[in-house]
Amino acid sequence: KAMDAAGESAVTCVDKWANGFGMRARIALRELGVAFEYVEEDLHVGERSELVRRMNPVHRSVPIQIHRGRPVCGSLNILEYIDEVWSAPGETRRLLPGDPAGRADARFWADFVDHKVFPTQTRFLKSKGEEKDVAKEELVEQLKRLDEVLGEKGFFSGDEFGFLDIVLIPFSSMFRGYEQHGGFDLEVECPNLMRWVKRCKERESVREVLPDEAKMYDLHKEWYGIE
Amino acid sequence: RPHNLTINLYLTSSTATRAKMSAPAAVRVIGAFDSPFSHRAEVALRLKGVPYELILEELHNKSELLLTSNPVHKKVPVLLHGDRAVCESLIIVEYVDETFDGPRLLPSDPYDRAMARFWARFIDDKCSKPFWLAMWTDGEAQKGFMKEIKENFALLEAQLEGKRFFGGDTIGLVDIAACGFAHWLTVCEEVSGVTLVTAKEFPRLCRWAKEYASDEKVRACLPDRAQMLAHFTANKEMFMAMAKSMLPK
Repeated sequence: KAMDAAGESAVTCVDKWANGFGMRARIALRELGVAFEYVEEDLHVGERSELVRRMNPVHRSVPIQIHRGRPVCGSLNILEYIDEVWSAPGETRRLLPGDPAGRADARFWADFVDHKVFPTQTRFLKSKGEEKDVAKEELVEQLKRLDEVLGEKGFFSGDEFGFLDIVLIPFSSMFRGYEQHGGFDLEVECPNLMRWVKRCKERESVREVLPDEAKMYDLHKEWYGIE
Repeated sequence: RPHNLTINLYLTSSTATRAKMSAPAAVRVIGAFDSPFSHRAEVALRLKGVPYELILEELHNKSELLLTSNPVHKKVPVLLHGDRAVCESLIIVEYVDETFDGPRLLPSDPYDRAMARFWARFIDDKCSKPFWLAMWTDGEAQKGFMKEIKENFALLEAQLEGKRFFGGDTIGLVDIAACGFAHWLTVCEEVSGVTLVTAKEFPRLCRWAKEYASDEKVRACLPDRAQMLAHFTANKEMFMAMAKSMLPK
C-alpha cells in the first residue's frame, strides 16, 4: 500500500502486548500492509497514561487506534474502520464479507465472542470450585459452537482469512492455558477450531502479533491468582 | 434483559399481499410488544420505507419460529429476510442500512461510522444496566447506579451539542440505539417514582427525546404509552425482584 510516512497518514496503535482485543487491530493492519507505530500501555500502573486518557476519555482503555490524529476506540470498531479505509474500492480483498447477510453473520459471531466467550473465559480463570466447573462447561460449549460454525471451512467466511478469524485468533493464545486450567483437550472438543488455529498461524500477520502461549498463561495466572 | 409479559398477537399477511410480491423477498420482524430492542429493528425498516410483517412474541412462551431463527440467544428481535435470519438489534440496523435504499442510518465517512458504532455500543454496554438498576433498586445501591447512569447521560448530552439528532439532521444508528431513553424512560420513571432525567439537568437529551418520539415513522412503531404504563405497573414487583438478583453478592 502506498501509504506515505507523513504524520498525516500515520497510524498509531496504543495497546498492551497481552491484550487479545488489541491484537485484532495489529493483525488487520499487517494483513492490509499498513505501517503503524506501536505504543505499549502499562496496565500494571494504576493510572492510565495521559495519551490514553486524552484519546479514550470515556473508557480509558486500550486498544486505541490513532489515524490522522483522531482516535478510534473499541476493537471491533477499529477493525471495521481499517476495513473501510484501507480496503480500497475495486479491490477484492476485504476483511468483512462482501454481502450484507455475510457481514451481519460475521458481526453476530464477533458479538458472541465479545459478550459470551470472553466474559465466560474470565469467570473460568477467576473462579474456583463449583463456579469454575460451571464456567468451564459454558466455555467449552461456546467454543464448540464456534467449532460448529467453522465446520470444514478453511476460515470462518470460507476460503479467505477475514474479520471473524481476526476477531477470534488472538484468544487462541490462551487455548493451552484453558486446557491446563480446566483439564480438557480442545483437540477432542473442538477439532475444527484447532486445525483453524494452525492454519491461521501460517500467516505472517498472526505469527508476528500473537504472543508466546506460555507467557500468556503465566500472565493470566498472575492476574487471576491462579496457582 | 428484562422481558415483560406481552400480548400474544400473531399477525399474518393476507394472501392478497403475498400474491402481489414479485421480486423483493419478504421481510418479517419477530419482536415483542414493549421491547426497545424490537423497536430498533422496526424503526430501521420504517425509516427506509421497507414494508414488513410483525410477529409479536409472548416472551414467556417463545414460538418455534423464534427458537429456530435465533437458536443461540433465543431473543427478539430477529429480522427474517427471505431465507436469512439476522439477530441482535444493532446488527439488524446495520444490515437494513446496507441492504435497502433510502436515507442513510450510518454516516458514509469511516471515522464518523466508527464514532456512531462507538456510541451505540456505549449505550448498550454502559447505559442499559445502570439505567435499569437505578429504576428498580433502592437504598445505597440505587444511589450508586443513579450516579453512574447520570454520568453516562452527561456524555450523551455532550454528544448532542449543536445537533438535532445524534446522527445530525436525520435519525441515525445512535438515535435508534438510544430509543429507550426517548419513550421508555418516562414510563419507567412514572412507575418507579425515580426521576432520572430533568430538562434542567439534561436539556438537550429531553429535547432530543421529544424530537425522536414525535417523528412520524418512529411513532408508528412505538408501543402505546398507556398500555406500556399498565404493563410496567403490573410488573413492578417482578422488575424489582429481578433488579435485586442482578446486584453483585
